[in-house]
Parts: sequence; structure tokens; C-alpha cells
Amino acid sequence: MSSGNLAREEQKLAYKLLIPAFLILITIAVYPLGQVFYTSFTDKTFATGREASFIGLENYKTLLSVTIKELPPVVDENTGEQKIGEDGQPVFERPIRVLPRRPELYRPVFEFSFFSNRFVVGAINPDFLTAVWNTIIFTVFSVFFETLIGLGIALVVNSEFKGRGAMRAVMLVPWAVITVVSARMWEWMFEPTRTGFFNMIFERMGVGDGNFSFLTTTELQLPSLIAVDVWKTTPFMALLILAGLQLIPNELYEAARVDGANKVKQFFSITLPLLKPSLAVALVFRTLDALRVFDIFQVLLSQKRYSMASYNYFQLIQARKMGLASAVGVIIFIVIFIFAVTYIKMLGVDTDE
Amino acid sequence: MRKSLVLALLLSMILVVSGSVFAEKAEITIAGGSVGQELELTKEAAQMYMEEHPDVKVNVLDTPDLATDRLGLYLQFLEAESPKVDVYQVDVIWPGDLAEHFLDLYNYGAKDMVDDHFQAIVENNTVDGRLVAMPWFTDAGLLYYRQDLLDKYGYDVPQTWQEFERTAKAIQEGERAAGNQDFYGYVWQGDAYEGLTCNALEFIYSNGGGTIVSPDKKITINNEKAIEAIDMASDWVGYISPPGVTGLAEESARKIWEAGNAAFMRNWPYAYPLGNVEGSAIKGKYDVAPLPAGDSGKSAATLGGWNLAVSKYSEHPEVAADFALFMAGPKVQKLRAVKGSFNPTIKSLYQDEEVLEASPFFGSLYEVFTNAVARPSTATAPRYNEVSRLFFQAVHSVLTDEMEARTAIEYLELDLVDLLGYEIGEPRQP
Repeated sequence: MSSGNLAREEQKLAYKLLIPAFLILITIAVYPLGQVFYTSFTDKTFATGREASFIGLENYKTLLSVTIKELPPVVDENTGEQKIGEDGQPVFERPIRVLPRRPELYRPVFEFSFFSNRFVVGAINPDFLTAVWNTIIFTVFSVFFETLIGLGIALVVNSEFKGRGAMRAVMLVPWAVITVVSARMWEWMFEPTRTGFFNMIFERMGVGDGNFSFLTTTELQLPSLIAVDVWKTTPFMALLILAGLQLIPNELYEAARVDGANKVKQFFSITLPLLKPSLAVALVFRTLDALRVFDIFQVLLSQKRYSMASYNYFQLIQARKMGLASAVGVIIFIVIFIFAVTYIKMLGVDTDE
Repeated sequence: MRKSLVLALLLSMILVVSGSVFAEKAEITIAGGSVGQELELTKEAAQMYMEEHPDVKVNVLDTPDLATDRLGLYLQFLEAESPKVDVYQVDVIWPGDLAEHFLDLYNYGAKDMVDDHFQAIVENNTVDGRLVAMPWFTDAGLLYYRQDLLDKYGYDVPQTWQEFERTAKAIQEGERAAGNQDFYGYVWQGDAYEGLTCNALEFIYSNGGGTIVSPDKKITINNEKAIEAIDMASDWVGYISPPGVTGLAEESARKIWEAGNAAFMRNWPYAYPLGNVEGSAIKGKYDVAPLPAGDSGKSAATLGGWNLAVSKYSEHPEVAADFALFMAGPKVQKLRAVKGSFNPTIKSLYQDEEVLEASPFFGSLYEVFTNAVARPSTATAPRYNEVSRLFFQAVHSVLTDEMEARTAIEYLELDLVDLLGYEIGEPRQP
């Protein structure tokens, strides 16, 4: 038997041995994902026996259509000039009069000014686009703070001190609490009266009158949620970074000390560069996780403001629009995919060193 | 050696499996609410049933407080055609939407019982001639007021919203001056969920603004009276109601009320006995009345209430149906009325002395319960949930100052036209 034959035989065997793995992958990943892709092209209703029909890209069109329209100024009939509102700002037509209604109704997402002209961005489904925006803002800020604080905590618990083991265990407590439970705890702390922890503290400090409504005031909603997430997930970040720190050999620091490098110099020349691979992994983990955020949005904001995943949930469960919800799922999948690829390219995680 | 081990294992497995089959104890599960004393009372009633039927085991499944979340849970069971839950406690607005998943209780002996119940609810639960749910308890929005504070400041129970605002404001200022900084005039349900639909329907309908969609399938929400009523409610936020009222639901409003921090509360009857327990700050100091009237001159209370439906995916349909009928029967309804102030759906219980002693307002407010205004769930079926979501989100955006009432209602009208395809019409007057 020639060596070529042997290699081919081995290859065949390898494929045969891979079959179980492929079968599992197909049943638990490819099939459900394909199902979601397929459903996203239909108008299927959730929890009913009614027949669904194929509607092509209609769901995607509903979710993603946007338009920009200029708002004409409101002219004062007496002077022939543009009206000035009570707040001293020139008055423009309300978006509802300008945005198209047929064949689909467009709603305003936001307005902006450009050279004294005013424009409105409209969308068929502003809820979804704001959900995407909310999720991205949430992700960027929570991951940023988690990395920063996590790095700090990891550096502390990596240094030698008495009770370090206990400290490392205690550090993990917030992460070990089930998210829904901790979200409920935070909900109580966010109570809009002085029975709430934060209102009590702020009032003592002389900020506000103890009536901040953290979860219903638009400007406070996302910062509140980011605070909850930072509290909860910083330990996880610290843990991953700590693992990276322990891989850095002590000799490097000794050598640096002998050469006269101070602590700051050591941190930027040794710790940070050598930490980069672990940091990259931690960042990828957290970012992808934060983009899928569901539980704290669902518990704390419910239908007041959505993340991508909670929007998906409410479309499926409340509106029972399974087709549309599947399309949302596909879009989330694509967004996360883009983030993952960009990260891996940017941080060079997969390149051999 | 190994063979005998395998044999022993197999044998023991067979024994275990057959053991559970031969036990013949039918096990059924009821998914019930847990607002106030609901869970306790459901468990107590289940215990009563098990004592009468020793061969049945009844499990009580605890479900989320918010109706919106509860529906989410139910739909997941129903989509999976799961036999895990046999009896569902369903909201008065759901039978139309969920009918296909439930058994026709007429086939299980409900025929003889329905005549004792309120006709309107039986009709509501009858879909295409099938009785898909048994009436269990009915609900209507009530105004809870602090008698002691009305006396202290010399006011009567307010009859109109204008009077109401003045009274609430005066009591709030008085109590704050007396040292209670956390005191508010009025707490109600302003969070973005089904409860806000009920609250908003009350002040809009009482003001002559109609019922969103009229029973003859016209979209009536865009009218001056409705806009005026929504503006009125948005003025309450931060004035006679806490700024956080836009995040309050039944239970969170009840907490503020029972702490003695509110002069008025809008809530369902279940809150009546709960404030009278030992240790409550308001024990014996409050009573209930119809909600104030608006420009229509009449008060309005949203019709609520819950029913019991039997899943067609149940493994023991006979047992489950029998249990549902028992739960909806006079014995359990009386227990719930006496202990928990849950309004019976059986007419004769409103003359029952024990019931009236426990909740005197059942007698005095009988009219409120029989004339409660229904949400437009029949006119918009099977899209009521979408209609309600669009409505409460529109109202919520006004309460939180994101939108003007007029703009929000104009958009709501366009949305409803798109969703339902009905014509626009004039609101029906009470």
C-alpha cells in the first residue's frame, strides 16, 4: 500500500470520526438558526395554529426603513417671517405633518439642525432603532467602566497582602447573584421616593428632594442600568484580568526594578503589553455578552425602554409577531457577528505570535 | 457479575416507572396569580378540593404579578402545547385571543352553572358558542380614600375630578406642613403596562372621551375630551402624585397607601381587606367610593377580573375541568370574597350576609361592579394586546413629558388605523 493511500484512508477515518460532532452541531446550532432565518421571512404568529405565509423581506423593511425629511418653518401670517416660539427658538412644522404616511407610517426618531435648516429622521419602527442605539450605548459604557474598575481590582488582589484569598472570594459575590434577583434588589434601591436607597443618600448629600425617578426619567434610565451592570459584571472582568496578571513572570518586574524603572513605567511597559491577550479575550466576552443584554432591561424597564433582546422578547410574547421577532433575532445575530469580527481583527486575538 | 448488575438496574427502573403508573393519583397544576392574598387563597381552595378528592393532587404554580408578564409565561406553555399546566387563570381580556387552546367547558357540565353568574362575563368568555373560561372573580377600579384625613381637613368624598384635585392638593399640603414630607395626594398605576390602560380608560371615559375603539368597531380615541383627560393626568405627576407614579403598579401603589403616605388611591377591590390588618398604618381609617366623574358627569370603573380556563393539552382534562368548576363554584367564591375581598361572579353571593359583613362595599357599590366599562378587547380581538400596548405607551409618553398629548394621540390614531383597518368615529357616551 502506498503512503498516499494510507493518508487518504486516515483522512476518511478522520471524517467519519467527525460525524457525531457535526450531527450535534447541526441539531443544536444550524437547524435552530436556519429555522429562525426561515421564520423571519414569514408572518408567523406565536402560539397559534393559524397558517403563516411567506412575505419575503417585509419584516426587515419594517424594522430598518428610515427617511430624512426637512421640516419647513412655520410662517407667521402677520409678519411673513418665521414664527418664534415662547422659548425664543424659531418654530418648525411638527414632524407628524411632514413624514410620509403611505404606504407605511413613518415616526420621528430624532431631529437635528443643519445650517439653520431643521431635519427629522423618521422610521417605520423607531422603537427598534432606539433599542439598537440603547444597546450600543449600554455596551460601550458598561464595558468601558467594567474594564477600568476590573483592572484596578485585579491589580489590588494580585498584590501580596493578608487575607488575599478571602478578598478574591468576596470580590465574586455580585457576579454570583442571579441577574434577575440583583435587578430586583436594585429596583428597590432605585425606588422613586425616600424609601429608596439612592434617593435617601442623594437627599442627605443635598442633591434633589428625594424624588428622583431613576427608572422612568429618560435621562436617568440608561445610567441607572449601566450602574447595575458595572456592579454585577466587574468581578467577572477582574477575574479574567487576574488570570492574565498571574501569567506575567515576576522576574520581569525584578529586572525592571534593577534597571531603575518606576511603578508607572513598569505598568505601561510590562503589565499592559503582556496583559493584552487576556484583556482582549475579556473584552470580547463582555462586549458580546452586553450586546445580548436582556434580563436587566426586562426587569427594570420592561416596556418603557428596550434593548435589542428585550424588544425581541416583547415582539414575540406581547405582539405575538413571531416572524418579526425572528427578523430581530437575525439582525442581533448580524450585529454581534460584526462586533466579534472587528474585535478579533483589531486586537489580533487569532494571530500566532 | 456485570450482567447481574445490569439486570438489577433494569429491574429497579421498571419498578420505579410502574410504581408511578399504578399510583393512579391524577396530578394537575393550576397557574394562578399572587397579587395580595391570591396565592394563599388558591392554595387553600386547592386543599379543599384535595380533601374531597383524595385521588387528585393539585399543584399551584406561582405566576408573575403583572398581567403582561403572566401572558408571556402562558404563551410559552401554549406554544409548546405543554401539559404541565392544566388550569389557567386568564384575564377578562384574553379569552378571545387564546380560545383555540382551551376546552369547551360546556362539554364538562358548566351548562347548569353559568346561569348563576354575571351574564356579561359569561358572554365575554364565550367564543363561537364555546365556553372557554369559567368566571372566577370580577374587578372594577375603585377610589380608596382616607376618611380620617377628609374629616381632618373638612372635605367630602370628591365627586368630580376638579373637586378631587383640590381635595388631594389641600390634604397633601396640610400633611406635609405637619411634617410628613413623603405624603402625596394620589397614587395610581402609571407604569407602562396593562394597568395604565385600565387607569387611563377610566379618566378618559368618565370625561366623555370614549373607549379607544368603540364596540361597533370605530377608532374613537382622537377627540378633545380624551386629550383633555390625558393632559389632566399628566399634570398630576409631581403635583398630587409622586413623580415616580409613572413606574407604579397595583402592589407598589398599595405599599405607599398602606404606609399612610397617600390620601387617595386607585386600585382593585383586593386591596380592601389588606389595609385593615394589625400593624397597618391606616387600619380602620379608609373606605372606598366610585372614582370621580369627568365632563360626562358619570364615574367610570374599568371592568377587570379573572377566569379559569382548562388547557386542551391537559393529560387529565376531566379532572382539570371538574377542578375549575369547583374553584368557580359558590363555596370557593364565597371563601375568596370573605377572606380576600375578591368580587364573586355569582349574583346570589352579593346578598350573602357573611360576604357583606367582610366587604360592606359589595352591597353599596353593586352598581359600580355591574356597570363597569369593558376594555375594547372584543372589538379588537385578536389584536387587543397590540392595541393596549400602543395605547399605554402613548399615554406613558405623555405622563413622562416625552410627547404632547395631542401628538401622542394623533400617532396612536394613525397606528390603530394601520393595525385594525377600522374607520374613525365619534366616542360613545356613558
